[in-house]
Amino acid sequence: MGIKSFSRARAIHVMLVYTGGCNGCDIEIVNSILSPRFDAEQYNVFLTWNPREADVLVVTGPVTHLNRKPLEEIYKAIPNPKLVVAAGSCALMGGVYKNCFADIPSEEIEGPVENVIPVNAKVPGCAVRPQDVLAGVVSLLPTLLDAD
Amino acid sequence: MDEKVPRSKIIETEIPMGTVHPAALEPYRVRIFVEDEIVQEAEITIGVNHRGIERIMEGLPVQKANSLTEKVCGICSNSHIWNSCRTAEIGLGIEIPERATYIRVIMGELERLHSHFLYLAHGCEVLSHETFSMRVFYLREIVMELLAMIGGNRVQYGCSVLGGVRPRCDLDEAKLLRLKNDMDKIEEGLTDFAERFTSDSIVMSRISGIGVLPQKQAIKLAVTGPTLRATGVARDLRTTMFEYDEFDFNVVTQPDGDVKSNLLMRALESFESIKLIRQAIANIPEGKVVNRDWEMVDTDINESYIEVPRGTLYHSYALESGRVRHSIIRTPSMSNIGAMQYACIGDQITDAQLCIVQCDPCFTCSDRAIEIIRR
Repeated sequence: MGIKSFSRARAIHVMLVYTGGCNGCDIEIVNSILSPRFDAEQYNVFLTWNPREADVLVVTGPVTHLNRKPLEEIYKAIPNPKLVVAAGSCALMGGVYKNCFADIPSEEIEGPVENVIPVNAKVPGCAVRPQDVLAGVVSLLPTLLDAD
Repeated sequence: MDEKVPRSKIIETEIPMGTVHPAALEPYRVRIFVEDEIVQEAEITIGVNHRGIERIMEGLPVQKANSLTEKVCGICSNSHIWNSCRTAEIGLGIEIPERATYIRVIMGELERLHSHFLYLAHGCEVLSHETFSMRVFYLREIVMELLAMIGGNRVQYGCSVLGGVRPRCDLDEAKLLRLKNDMDKIEEGLTDFAERFTSDSIVMSRISGIGVLPQKQAIKLAVTGPTLRATGVARDLRTTMFEYDEFDFNVVTQPDGDVKSNLLMRALESFESIKLIRQAIANIPEGKVVNRDWEMVDTDINESYIEVPRGTLYHSYALESGRVRHSIIRTPSMSNIGAMQYACIGDQITDAQLCIVQCDPCFTCSDRAIEIIRR
């Protein structure tokens, strides 16, 4: 274990990026990391809002037209290894917003997140359950700790 | 207080916040114009989250459109599906069983509790007082588990259907008992929180007199909900809704319209919600929960207003061979944006985010219409 992964294992920073979903997933994710019931901070997982500090990027929402550029810029700003968790059915497949009627793609939606930035882990659910978010972030830990 | 009128001369220093900002959960843009660290003018721009729900609703079967309105907002999702069902029920003249009305009121009040707790937690976090924030988050978790117990999911419950509530959301004895016990727990926790909060002189001096919104200005800006009631206007649509006819509750008001009034307003209103839920548990009638005996007819545009945790919610649509036409949704945060801009003026730049948060913004549900100009 290098010194980088040694220190990383003691403070994993998660950044939440919100790209135009309904707010449900975001509050559940903040809830799962901050709130005393689920409390990811006891496993040294912290919520940050600074992309340069972030180890894991959690993206929610279907990526609306105006949110595409900020998302790309945030992805550029996070340090290597760039790990991304897409959380919620909007982030995975565009959710209910992707299509007008049955199959006409909506002009507003650029998503799913995969179309914009590479995704490492996917957390399904509408809205995601806090347990699933923690499982998603934890599944990335081996990759995160093996990287130098 | 009415001296807080923006000046007409050009202010040179502009501080942009957003669209992605640490203190705000949602993306929106604020331009703050300052002079000597005092905010002279604030301008909030939304539109980043526009997803076009009304456009997607157009032409959907009414029941599908109702469940789609839940996705307008993840905080007050139940209010949207409730009001959307109510719109069609008013138009088609559907009678709702009394038991279903009671369950809808219980869900609505539980949602008000969780929304107000989120507001208190978020407010305390922006105040940088994490201990209080954690205490409220812990209380909120009890409410979330109750909502998950009734609706089966933590955020989107899909409780209301046309003519009543989903049979899944019916309340049996065990659920009512748990609801009753947890209300005691929440009341105890909230009383403890309120006592600690109001007796903390550091916090109180930090929040009183910040972000003042005068009553006259609040009425002029058509502010709704708790933000309006925090300026001393006793206006609550629940007093006019037939669902609340048999319930006894007070309309809470606070005098000042500052951050302190707003925070206390939400805390006191939560007590009223607990009172309402207790009344509903005690008097809930027996019977079926959904009335499936109705006919679909074409109607003109139907409207419905209800009081949701953040203010007045408006839904309207016409029905054409069972499909939704000309849907309009107007959410409370839309009319509260003016209050947010006004509350910032005259305060320190460090308090600007607090002044915006005090009006309980939910820009996700407010993004209703944009104009795309292609060049």
